[in-house]
Amino acid sequence: MSEFKSGFFVGGESCNGRVLVVDDEPDIRKVVRMTLQKAGYDVLEAENGAKAIETINSGENRLLLDVMICDIRMPKVNGIEAITYFRENYPRVPLIVLTGFPDTDMATSLLRQGVVDYLVKPVEGEKLKASVARAMEQRELAHL
Amino acid sequence: MMDWPAAQRTGAAATSAPAEPGIGRGRIEPVPALLPMRVAIIGAGRGGMALLDVLHQIRTIKIVGIADRDPSAPGLTRAHELNVPVYDRVADLINHQGLNLVMDVTGDPTMESVLRKEVPAGTDVVNGQTSRLLWLLVQHESILQTELLHAEKLAGIGSFAAGIAHDMNNPLQLILGLAENLADETDLDAVHTQARDIIEAVKRTTAICRDLTSYSRRASLQQDCLIGVNGKLDEALKIARYAVALQDIEIRKRYQPDVAVKGNPDELLHVFVNLITNAVQAMEHEGALTLETAVVAGTTQIRVSDTGCGIPPELLDRIFEPFFTTKPPGKGTGLGLYNIKSVIHHMNGTIEVESQVGRGSTFTLTFPHDSSVGERSVQP
Repeated sequence: MSEFKSGFFVGGESCNGRVLVVDDEPDIRKVVRMTLQKAGYDVLEAENGAKAIETINSGENRLLLDVMICDIRMPKVNGIEAITYFRENYPRVPLIVLTGFPDTDMATSLLRQGVVDYLVKPVEGEKLKASVARAMEQRELAHL
Repeated sequence: MMDWPAAQRTGAAATSAPAEPGIGRGRIEPVPALLPMRVAIIGAGRGGMALLDVLHQIRTIKIVGIADRDPSAPGLTRAHELNVPVYDRVADLINHQGLNLVMDVTGDPTMESVLRKEVPAGTDVVNGQTSRLLWLLVQHESILQTELLHAEKLAGIGSFAAGIAHDMNNPLQLILGLAENLADETDLDAVHTQARDIIEAVKRTTAICRDLTSYSRRASLQQDCLIGVNGKLDEALKIARYAVALQDIEIRKRYQPDVAVKGNPDELLHVFVNLITNAVQAMEHEGALTLETAVVAGTTQIRVSDTGCGIPPELLDRIFEPFFTTKPPGKGTGLGLYNIKSVIHHMNGTIEVESQVGRGSTFTLTFPHDSSVGERSVQP
């Protein structure tokens, strides 16, 4: 790659970026993975906020994570706690909230904290991909 | 979590034991300061039974007995359940020593002359139109109580929104994602697997609707029946998780098999949902919730315990008052425990609370043990 791009190589294939999906429901992680992999993203999964923190702090993920998609209502470290942690410790990783509960006050508060998007399930694949693409742009702008 | 007190294992009243320092105990029945009014009820039809149901809840009234010539009168069955003496001859009942009041709800005009002759001097008689008015008031009160219970239940369902949205939208996300994928999926095995996943997700969604519509309906007016307590507690847990997040709560079940009580299943479910919701809210989403059932010294006991913030001793006597709440405005009606008390009283039971600030609370429901459990069909 001649210019900076947050994409990297996985298994010899070019990848649009690495996305961490944090949701306690394996089914949700499965469909988000399915949608984003088809769009050329590498997808990591975590079942709650605590696992997400563990994942991002392990190996090269700290450097290579581009976008995080996070649910709110989860066991152990919930979404709000995880988002606060990530905003403080990884301010350059854009965050997308994907939640089952539309809460205007919470959405406003999270968007003020710098969350890129507040998506309410069920969200169409195209909308999810557009949101991740927007987050990727933010990620790239942050590196300029 | 506090241990099952030795006093309760031996059948002694928990309130008679001196409270340990720092532990508050509450009981909903105040000790009456005056001698109770001694009342006899003549007529065990619908009117007599309604009167019995209301009067037996008032601690300052002692029902000395109920009389009816018809041994199959519904009020007589209820009287047996409430341990109220039953008579087939009016004369035997009204000759009771120290009787203050005779309430004639037979609607039989000839009864007036009988009572005039038989009732001892100093005993008042309520009959005729006065008695009818009293029955109407009792019926009215009963309707209000049912409406209040339903209104409070519906108000509580408002707090289910987050839980319902979470549980409905997750399977919907799976269905949408899989359907989008199926539009261009070429692998036939994958198509079959994903179609099956969609069917399962739809089933989960419909189960949520079924649970909630069943819970939100008005309590059925069916006759009281035997209810399997363990199954009802499990059902309540399923409903309560819409109102409160249970993910970080450790749930301990200590069920004695086949424990049953007699009552209205819809109302008992509401009682359990309320107690579990309160317990989880007291823990601020972290701690242990313990559900226990046991037959102890001739009584059936159900305990709901939490390891939450506890209730200050000065508030313990007030928590069963109507409209008393410590929750922020808009978060609680203040009618939950009041309604629980009413339902439990109707079931001839009692409720006690033991609490320690910073350690947690335990609500103990005690009902007379029905020795016929196992012989008759029990509603799960």
